[in-house]
Amino acid sequence: MRNLINFFIQYSVLLLFLFMEVVAMGFVVKNQAYQQSVFLSSSNSSIASLYEISNSVVEFFKLKTANETLSEENTALKNQLIRLQNQLTTLKPERKDSLRFQIPPEMEYQFIAAKVINSSTNKLQNYITLNKGLRDGIKVDMGVISDLGVVGIVKTVSDKFAVVIPILNDKIKINCKFTKSHYSGPLQWDGFDYRYANLNDIARHVEFSLGDSLVTSGFTNTFPEGIPVGNIENFDIKESDAYYRIRVKLAVDFRTLSHVKVIDYKNYGEQRYLEKVAEK
Amino acid sequence: MLSILQNILLFIVLVLSQVLVLNNIQFLGFINPYIYILFILSLPAKLPRWFVLVLGFCLGFVIDIFSNTLGIHIFATVLVAYLRSFVIQLFTSIDEGNNPIPSFHSFGVGAYIKYVVALVVLHHTALFFIEAFSFSHLGLIPLKILMSSSITILLILGLKSMHRK
Repeated sequence: MRNLINFFIQYSVLLLFLFMEVVAMGFVVKNQAYQQSVFLSSSNSSIASLYEISNSVVEFFKLKTANETLSEENTALKNQLIRLQNQLTTLKPERKDSLRFQIPPEMEYQFIAAKVINSSTNKLQNYITLNKGLRDGIKVDMGVISDLGVVGIVKTVSDKFAVVIPILNDKIKINCKFTKSHYSGPLQWDGFDYRYANLNDIARHVEFSLGDSLVTSGFTNTFPEGIPVGNIENFDIKESDAYYRIRVKLAVDFRTLSHVKVIDYKNYGEQRYLEKVAEK
Repeated sequence: MLSILQNILLFIVLVLSQVLVLNNIQFLGFINPYIYILFILSLPAKLPRWFVLVLGFCLGFVIDIFSNTLGIHIFATVLVAYLRSFVIQLFTSIDEGNNPIPSFHSFGVGAYIKYVVALVVLHHTALFFIEAFSFSHLGLIPLKILMSSSITILLILGLKSMHRK
């Protein structure tokens, strides 16, 4: 026993040394586990704040590099911006609006967005009132469309309001054609169902089938060519008749119509004038 | 009393310069001087060995916490703290009753250089081998020991020679 105590006294420093080294090795081996304990790593808040201070000093010396990097990035972004702007300009006729159909880019059309503030669907002569008028650039005879297709034509305009004759009015006929065969004829409402209208003047020899789509013909000045009007629901022809009676399901749901676009055809006046001169 | 304060100050300065400055100087990618060991080297020659061990453990622990390498610096520093007295006995002959602080003046230039070189190389060797043991890049170790040791030795000797004037 006495020898043992003597041994410990004699070699106390060596034992302490060995103990410490074993602890250190234990730390190394279990390093993973200890790093997770926040207190013993540099994520400890006091150590972290010290590093934060040192970082702010170091960052000052890194400012030049940071500046260069940023300016390079800036240039790259600017180039990208210009490239995208160029792309946007070339795509503009298609992207000008959220329309599902394309407006021919060679014609100068502009859209005036308007909101429907009054409308009816149950009369023989229905009308739609819009919240935009003369001061917004709306004029008589302009075409009105929605995102789905043709709505109607502007009839009268006041300073702040405009009244539109929709397809659902037996006073107007809208010239439309088949997308496949390009035969055209006037579309007219019969006054019964707000979802359907009749297409007349399609001769017996024209070939078409159920579901074919109709678009505006572009022969009038109000609508550009190719705006959807509806699809063929059914048709019949009697032995003695020269023309089909075609029932068309309208593309626009007039009951739920709320936002429309008025088409401003810039060359309307010039075209109209020329046509009048020719007729004289 | 004054020397205790001085040593505490030296401890803080060395730890801060190590973790904030030197640990960021990865010269040539792998040379990283560890000057904090100067604290152990500068303790009075006849300081009780158990106390030197405790100080070494504390120093290594603090450096480890800042470096996120728990255990590695403790191991190397405690090793140096333990072997320090043997190295002093080996290279110098200190008179009975004297307790000098190791320096060019007290040890003599040659003996002090040998003392520093021996302990720094010992420290770095232990350090890099333990590090490799846990991080595995064995091919580099001899080069790392050689390069980092020489930088550390130069730094310590430079600091000490300035201090003497």
